[in-house]
Amino acid sequence: MHLDPFELHRPTSLDATVRLAGDLAGRFDYLAGGTDLLPNYKMHLNLRPHLIALDRVPELRGRSLERLGAMERLADLERDPALRAAFPGLADAVSEVATPLVRASGTVGGNLLVETRCFFFNQSYFWRASLGFCLKADGDRCHVVPQKERCYATFSGDLAPPLIALDAEVEIAGADGRRRIPLAAMYDAGGDGIRRTTLAPGEIVVAVHLPSAARGLRSRYKKLRVRPSYDFPELGVAVAGRWEDGGRVERLRLAIGGAETYPRRFDDLTSALEGGTLSDERVRALAEAVGERVRPVHNTFLLPDYRRRMVAVYVRRALAEARAGRAG
Amino acid sequence: MASVERPTYRLLGQRIPYVEGPLKVTGRAEYTDDLRRPGMLVARLLRSPWPHARLRSIDTTAARALPGVYAVLTGERYPTPFGVLPITHDETAIAVGKARYTGDILAAVAAQDERTAEAALALVRVDVEELPEYSDPRTGIARVAEPIHARGLNGSNVQKEVVQDFGDVDAAFSQAAQTARVRGTFAGVTHAFTEPMATIAESTPDGRLTVWSATQVPHYLHRSLSEVLGIPMHRIRVIKPEVGGAFGGKSDPLPHEIVCAALAIETGRPVKLLFDREDVFYTNHGRHPTQNDVRIAVDADGRILAYDIEALIDGGAWSSFGTVTTYYNGVLSMGPYRVPNFRYHGRRVYTNRPPSGAMRAHGGTNIRYSVEVALDLLAEQLGRDPFDLRAINALPPNSTTVNEFRITSTSFLKCLAAAREKSGWDAKFRRLPYGRGVGLGCGFYISGSNSPIHFTPKMPQSTVHLKVDMDGGIAVHSMQADIGQGSNTLLAAIVAEVLGVDLERVHVQRVDSDVSPIDIGSYSSRVTFMMGNAARSAALDLRGQLIAAAAELLGRPAESIETTHERFQVRGAPEVGVSFAAALEKAMERVGALTATGAYSTTPKGGTFKGARAGTAPAYSFAAYVAQVDVDVETGEYHVEKIWAAFDCGRALNRLAVEGQIEGSIHMGLGQVMGESMNYRGARLFNPSFLEYKIPTADQMPEVEILLVAEDDPEGPFGAKEAGEGPLIATLPAVGNALYDAIGVRFTELPITPDRVLRGIDRRRREGRPWKGA
Repeated sequence: MHLDPFELHRPTSLDATVRLAGDLAGRFDYLAGGTDLLPNYKMHLNLRPHLIALDRVPELRGRSLERLGAMERLADLERDPALRAAFPGLADAVSEVATPLVRASGTVGGNLLVETRCFFFNQSYFWRASLGFCLKADGDRCHVVPQKERCYATFSGDLAPPLIALDAEVEIAGADGRRRIPLAAMYDAGGDGIRRTTLAPGEIVVAVHLPSAARGLRSRYKKLRVRPSYDFPELGVAVAGRWEDGGRVERLRLAIGGAETYPRRFDDLTSALEGGTLSDERVRALAEAVGERVRPVHNTFLLPDYRRRMVAVYVRRALAEARAGRAG
Repeated sequence: MASVERPTYRLLGQRIPYVEGPLKVTGRAEYTDDLRRPGMLVARLLRSPWPHARLRSIDTTAARALPGVYAVLTGERYPTPFGVLPITHDETAIAVGKARYTGDILAAVAAQDERTAEAALALVRVDVEELPEYSDPRTGIARVAEPIHARGLNGSNVQKEVVQDFGDVDAAFSQAAQTARVRGTFAGVTHAFTEPMATIAESTPDGRLTVWSATQVPHYLHRSLSEVLGIPMHRIRVIKPEVGGAFGGKSDPLPHEIVCAALAIETGRPVKLLFDREDVFYTNHGRHPTQNDVRIAVDADGRILAYDIEALIDGGAWSSFGTVTTYYNGVLSMGPYRVPNFRYHGRRVYTNRPPSGAMRAHGGTNIRYSVEVALDLLAEQLGRDPFDLRAINALPPNSTTVNEFRITSTSFLKCLAAAREKSGWDAKFRRLPYGRGVGLGCGFYISGSNSPIHFTPKMPQSTVHLKVDMDGGIAVHSMQADIGQGSNTLLAAIVAEVLGVDLERVHVQRVDSDVSPIDIGSYSSRVTFMMGNAARSAALDLRGQLIAAAAELLGRPAESIETTHERFQVRGAPEVGVSFAAALEKAMERVGALTATGAYSTTPKGGTFKGARAGTAPAYSFAAYVAQVDVDVETGEYHVEKIWAAFDCGRALNRLAVEGQIEGSIHMGLGQVMGESMNYRGARLFNPSFLEYKIPTADQMPEVEILLVAEDDPEGPFGAKEAGEGPLIATLPAVGNALYDAIGVRFTELPITPDRVLRGIDRRRREGRPWKGA
């Protein structure tokens, strides 16, 4: 497998990047760490003739407890003790992405926008041609849930669930200027699975903003996968909460990735628990209610029934560990 | 019991770092892909997207016309069938008439670069008639509409059927105090070696063809090139650069090696063919997907009365080593135990899947799992400890099995004792809390096939040549293939040991068929035993020449001279002696550079019945492993905490290499237990990548405690037997039986993934059968 040639652009400012994106509309991909995009290109998945590399754009850098630049490398986040102390759940997730080599290149923005994954999509051109192409690349039907309307590929980023649980926002730049929206709102849950975000064409994620209220929360991220390294999540559960000394929960957020096409939060279920104590029974009820709602399909290594059953176990454990853990 | 004093050696038995290690760790060792030839072209292969199709026509006109394309080959150019076993030549270099699996080679291109080659492949027009796809061996047993190969038995897809019956199995079962039955299902697994296949070929104006290839059996490649290309062997030169792992996957002569050579002949230019990982997965030749059905009968004391075994083996598209596989699934099931009555019915069936073949512990792994689980069951039924059950059934040394295997050395009882003691078994078995457990698994494997492919007992299996010149360096030539297992180091160490010289004097030469005497390569765990004996014999010859010279210099009879470090001296008068260099100089006066040769031949073994030679070997390895596991009973995830690995490889000649082989074998065995699986959708391989083919990562490895307790083998070089394959086998049942001890669930389907574990826990709870109080 080889990379087909592409034209590489390396703009040095955010404005230039956005302009270039306008000029190349529909004919480019942004290149951040490249750990997902370039293997996909080798498999000839949705090739574009231009790549806009983001490594020289200063506005995309910078790391503080308030703001994470989109081009910050995961390995740098992993080695940041202040970040780990403030956001333990996020730190869990960062250190569980793929492998040290991938984290050395992989970025915050890249992980948030990582391509969804499916057995029928993440295959070589030869393989896909042999079976018949799918909705997500070169074809018109889904092999997982046979129909022609919707893609069921799995959202496989690890950073989105913990950031959503922290009420993080994303700063977005585009031809019409900059805007800030909740990270959860960047994922277009009403989409067809092919179009997965509410980003307008050419828009770019500049940074993640962490609200001050996110600090001091107890948080945890639990990742299900076959091997304790290397693998994408088969399920990722993030919780973040604040507990009073008496054990009453003041604030609770729960987000899940790795199970469906989008990361999801469950505010109606968690806010109902705020103000009370989290008895084992309530935790179990919450875990099961979440498990009821999550509908994985058979497009990853572990069977969907098993992944669904693990939702409740992982939610329960994440909550228990977050509560027992140190406040960020 | 009187204990015999074991000799000790200066080098052998130590931890000897690989002689090529400094080159490998600094990136200086040359693998095939590191080699460049002037004007070298690149080859790529067109693979069949169809699992099974009749080829109507292949139009290569447009591909040939593409600028930068030098040759496009299709199957009819070199249609001579070949295969690793002379009796099952069912492969061709490129598909002829039919495509037999998704990944089968339909055409090959040599071009100026990879992109041009791939562009050319896209221009090849293939017209086919799609044929019924056979992905389940069960459907191939009877007559089928479109047999994958014409040679299938009676119009079926059965490639090989073996029926063996020794003693009176039915009578034994009727007298049994207890019987157990295990029906095992095993997914296919593949070698997953680091270095993908790579070949370079060059045809030169002197009428010769040179082929560099990542192979573990250069000699079989040499033969197949000659047969298919129609060129006498003496005009072909096969060179084996460093090889980055093989595990059986580079032991067949492979079609792409012949294709690459053919393209070199067509173009007159050097051609390189390097596989990517997906190519490697399609080439496969890994462990066969297998279903087996094992019944074992024992008497009231637990003595084995009989085995009754069936195996259904998914061969994939070609025969490969499959005839051997079919025998091995039966005959390798008995040792390390005495089995007085034995019946076996094995069938290997072609399917439209990537071919299976020989993989580390070939033929002895899947059947062993089912046997060891059945013995665990029997121990439970009899209320006996699993160790005791094994011990009373141990094959004695110097005995003969019911199928006439000659057993010489066995330290199996010592292995059992060591594993039991070191693991703290008696305090743990059935006594650890719910979710944690220990399990015993044992192993048995050949130390070199006694009756190898292509050779008669009259031909040596291994030959080693030595040459020493006035520089005092010793050049060693042999066609044994170091594929990372350390055979070059062992070869050097044996020569140095016998001659009494420092290891740095000994230079093992790259395998090159022009100068290397034939050894039949790295498979069947034969190298240490056979090459080792040949090397020892060559070195003894050379030492004799040097001692004769020393005797002449010293004026003493040769019989009185002994060899010490870099010196020959008079026994009992160490001050009277000459240096190695002085003896060498004297010896060279008459003949110039000294040369010596040594060879090893097996003597005929086995009975006279059909298939009697399958599984015969000059020696066998034995193993007893204990695994300890910790199961998360809510998620089904489990961790193998530790493995105590007691292994009988005779004397470990390079302890470092033996430990590496055992640890690597355990990792590989663990992969087959925990998650490695060639997954298919029908006939199509679903996971041809290292992301979705789940090789365990380093953090899944247990602690490994290696227990080398064996006595010397009487015929192995310096008492050694194999340690390259046997160490894998016991890993699987040890873990499977430990899971039973932990959660009370018998797993008979591999891999044992967390979802299967959880299903097993559920089932037991549903049936209202608590285990360890849970």
